[in-house]
Amino acid sequence: MRNLDFEFVDSSKKASKEQTRRSLTYWKDAWRRLKKNKLAMIGLVGVTLIILFGVVGPWFMPYSYSDQDNRFTNIPPRFEIYAIADDGYVFLSSQYNLILVSEKGELLDKLVRTNMDAINKVYTYSYNGEDIEVDFKNRLLEDDGGIDLKVTYKGVTSEYPTKTVSNKTFVWGSDNLGRDMLTRVMYGARISLTVAFVATIVNLIIGVTYGAISGLEGGLVDDIMMRIVDVINSIPLVLYVILLMVLIDNRGLWTIIITLGSVYWVGMARLVRGQVLGLKEQEYVLAARTIGVSKAKIISKHLIPNTMGPIIVAMTMMIPSAVFTEAFLSFIGLGVSAPMASWGTLANDALAGLSTYPYQLFTPSLAIAFTMLSFNFLGDGLRSALDPRLRKG
Amino acid sequence: MSKILEVKNLRTTFFTHLGEVQAVRGISFDLDEGGILGIVGESGSGKSVTSLSIMGLVDDPGRIVEGEILFEGTDLTKLDQREMTKFRGNEISMIFQDPMTSINPAFTVGNQLREVIMAHSDLNKEQAHERALELLRMVGIPDPESRIKNYPYQFSGGMRQRALIAMAIANNPKLLIADEPTTALDVTIQAQILELMRDLKDKIQSSIILITHDLGVISEICDKVIVMYGGMIMEKADINSLFANPQHPYTRGLLLSIPTNVTGKKKRLVPIEGSPPDLMDPPSGCPFSPRCPHAMEICLKKAAPLFKISETQEASCWLHHKDAPEVKGFVKVEGDLS
Amino acid sequence: MIGYYVKRLLSALFTLFLIATLTFFMMRAIPGGPFTREKPLPPQIIAQLNAKYNLDDPVIVQYFSYMKGIATFDLGPSFKELGLTVNDLIKQGFPGSMKVGFVAVMFILLFGIPLGIISALKQNKAIDHVVMVMATIGVTVPSFVVATLYIYFISSKISWIPITGLSNPLAYIGPAIALSGYSLSYVARLTRSSMLEVLRQDYVRTARANGLSEWRVIGKHALKNALIPVITYVGPMIAAILTGSFVVERIFSINGIGRYFVESVNNRDYTVIIGMTVFYSALYIVMVLLVDIGYSLIDPRIKLGKRSGD
Ligand SMILES: Nc1ncnc2c1ncn2[C@@H]1O[C@H](COP(=O)(O)OP(=O)(O)OP(=O)(O)O)[C@@H](O)[C@H]1O
Ligand code: SF4
Ligand SMILES: [Mg+2]
Repeated sequence: MRNLDFEFVDSSKKASKEQTRRSLTYWKDAWRRLKKNKLAMIGLVGVTLIILFGVVGPWFMPYSYSDQDNRFTNIPPRFEIYAIADDGYVFLSSQYNLILVSEKGELLDKLVRTNMDAINKVYTYSYNGEDIEVDFKNRLLEDDGGIDLKVTYKGVTSEYPTKTVSNKTFVWGSDNLGRDMLTRVMYGARISLTVAFVATIVNLIIGVTYGAISGLEGGLVDDIMMRIVDVINSIPLVLYVILLMVLIDNRGLWTIIITLGSVYWVGMARLVRGQVLGLKEQEYVLAARTIGVSKAKIISKHLIPNTMGPIIVAMTMMIPSAVFTEAFLSFIGLGVSAPMASWGTLANDALAGLSTYPYQLFTPSLAIAFTMLSFNFLGDGLRSALDPRLRKG
Repeated sequence: MSKILEVKNLRTTFFTHLGEVQAVRGISFDLDEGGILGIVGESGSGKSVTSLSIMGLVDDPGRIVEGEILFEGTDLTKLDQREMTKFRGNEISMIFQDPMTSINPAFTVGNQLREVIMAHSDLNKEQAHERALELLRMVGIPDPESRIKNYPYQFSGGMRQRALIAMAIANNPKLLIADEPTTALDVTIQAQILELMRDLKDKIQSSIILITHDLGVISEICDKVIVMYGGMIMEKADINSLFANPQHPYTRGLLLSIPTNVTGKKKRLVPIEGSPPDLMDPPSGCPFSPRCPHAMEICLKKAAPLFKISETQEASCWLHHKDAPEVKGFVKVEGDLS
Repeated sequence: MIGYYVKRLLSALFTLFLIATLTFFMMRAIPGGPFTREKPLPPQIIAQLNAKYNLDDPVIVQYFSYMKGIATFDLGPSFKELGLTVNDLIKQGFPGSMKVGFVAVMFILLFGIPLGIISALKQNKAIDHVVMVMATIGVTVPSFVVATLYIYFISSKISWIPITGLSNPLAYIGPAIALSGYSLSYVARLTRSSMLEVLRQDYVRTARANGLSEWRVIGKHALKNALIPVITYVGPMIAAILTGSFVVERIFSINGIGRYFVESVNNRDYTVIIGMTVFYSALYIVMVLLVDIGYSLIDPRIKLGKRSGD
């Protein structure tokens, strides 16, 4: 009997057995790898959120970045309220303004202060013709015995706050002019991100053009261009940004953009030149050159698409550093002018009142850190996803 | 003749995040004391992973998942890293494929040589220096007194490989594994290094495993040979049987793809049509079946056992089964060993 | 070898010359003179001041006398703090900046490198994750945030840690943390990735194959190679730390040159801005030069005279 197992198989059947290798395109492959990277995905979500926050956020806010309410200055996001009989609740701000609030935490009004007894540390405020006495002696003592304020209204003294509520009027609190912090941080996002994106694009354009020309021309041109890059590289650039800002002396958005955009392209130029030198020797570029295709066309048709990967990574990393530099400039007083504010300006403004109103510093700082973190995660992820060395299987 | 090395059913797998790469899939072979064993096979067939498994140097995420490696009776797979260091560079040493990257660029050649010598002996620094000079002379580096102070970047590729060979033989190893010691070098340098290996083979009295793509080299130096494919052994034979009477379709393909004049100019192997299997998801049957001109139904289902052709030759191919169709040149042997 | 150093020195001097020139003309391009105030000074006083500081000379003459000043380490007078020279300000501020900078650099080297190594050796273990999360936060949180948080949460709560100034050794902690935060994290990350890269190298496998102990493989063969990129970064970083302390000095009220620089920027005190920029740049260039030379002694592969980074 013939053993069927020992029949020859025909070649068509064999072909189907042969391993078909997944052949994905570069970008699909990169995306697939990026999706697997948890941190990168967190970064992507973070970047999306922060952009939405800046772009869409302000539409949902009842305030604009410059709306002031001088009754409600420096109100924190959470505070302790004291019941005044059945007539409502009050809260004493750190500036000793007594604010009438609802039980839910909406700010209703600032009460008029009728008397200040600085010696006994008792201030008197008037509400509907009745006096409210606020005794804040304990607040200033080292050992307050667990009591912060004593609020006396209609002869009843409450020594303990009724509860702690969240500020419903200004969710992230208000600043020293009574402007809504959340709204300002949202507008700050617009400014910081606009500066970062546009400056990065300006850097990109300069850097790519410079690097591509240097790499393609080669020879003496390349030598001179790279010498210039070397010189620029050996200068502490922050100083030049500062000098330029002082020189232009105009606190507009464009000043910062132009300044940042014109200084930090060197890394990009080097990167592109390196890539170009590598690619230049490759056949299709040689072929394009021999049939007389113009340089501009070679740059746009061949080199740029092929150097996209590293450029994208460099850009992702450049954006947070632009946010950072902008914040730094604002922080030393060279930021966009009032009433607009970037995150750096907000942080700078908050510095003076740090010990009393720390929340004013925390929110813009958190926004900066969140943005930097998200872009860094995304950039790291992109770097490994687009790394040509990993492009196997 | 006693065995210096016995590898039994060795299975080494890389647990990558994309899946398991079964680089070595249950191979067994042994090496006689003083013997020279060649391993051939195309790229990715698991030759390096086999030798690294013996050295206990399989990198993460790889692991020996099964099998024994008996070196003079000691099972190396049972030893921890600390115990292995007593063997490595001392009783067993290894020469790697790429001399450009295998030598540390940050230290002088002398420094690295002395270090190996002193790690496994009681010699002091001066004695180790003398020994290092002697070794450099042995491997044919001219002017060793001044060369010993050089950094690797001052050495050419061929000289680096000589220096690495010097390190490998520094402590008179009982087993020397050379993993494609010439592949990364120029053709003329290749010949010189092989000449050196041949020369040393008589001087140092080690048993040697020589891994290569080049059947020509095997035929000149080795006395036994293993043909690997897809992480498995396809054929195991002494040199004469293999060249005179290959008993596996893959071996035949290999022999056909080298220039007829074996002793003539050596060329890198011209691969057989098709590509090697993906070890991530290896074919269930004979790994060679997708490319084999004689593939049968059973080949797709089940890998063939090693059929014993003669005292000196075994082949893993169903064509040796009594039920298989006749194919010219392939002998039938009794008994299905599976 | 010597030729290389001479060449490096000359190119450093040339760069410095370019910087001084550029800075000078940038500041001269500012509309309005240095004595433009919010409340305008009477014209005759301006004329007097102009004459006093030779500002009525042609620009080119001013340029040459300025360059001559720089060549003799004289950076000129301050136009806002009358009676003080830029040299005075630098003399006052430099020691403070150096001290804080030194402590910060020590922090970076003593913590950043070991953390990076540990992280690499324990790749994907808990400690690696902890270090890397910290390091990522470290590179993303700006120094002024670190500084203010430190003041808010630590030194204003713990009475024996001074908030500002450099009155006692504990006072250095805050400024040094704020100043080193970024670079420390960066160095830890860089050391880790460099170490991981090196551990994959063939020569590490050779070292293992030679039967060297794990301690030698890592502590000798891997470490020296892994530190090379770290050193490349650390060089300019030291310079940047010493020059980049504007924010930290301001927040901690340290009398350093960074603080004076920011003040001069806010006051539009042009000669001080120019002078400090030139001084900072010189410091930076000299540091990078020193580190480069030291580096060429460490890494045998550096081909002297060749431009690196290409
Ligand atoms: N670190 C690793 N991680 C994952 N897979 C690996 C690793 N090292 C080797 N492999 C896989 O193991 C298989 C066998 O590799 P090996 O290096 O042993 O081949 P080889 O026969 O030595 O080839 P060559 O002739 O090219 O040196 C290959 O498919 C390879 O992809
Ligand atoms: S077992 Fe089958 S497929 Fe494998 S080599 Fe032999 S005949 Fe070819
Ligand atoms: Mg190999």
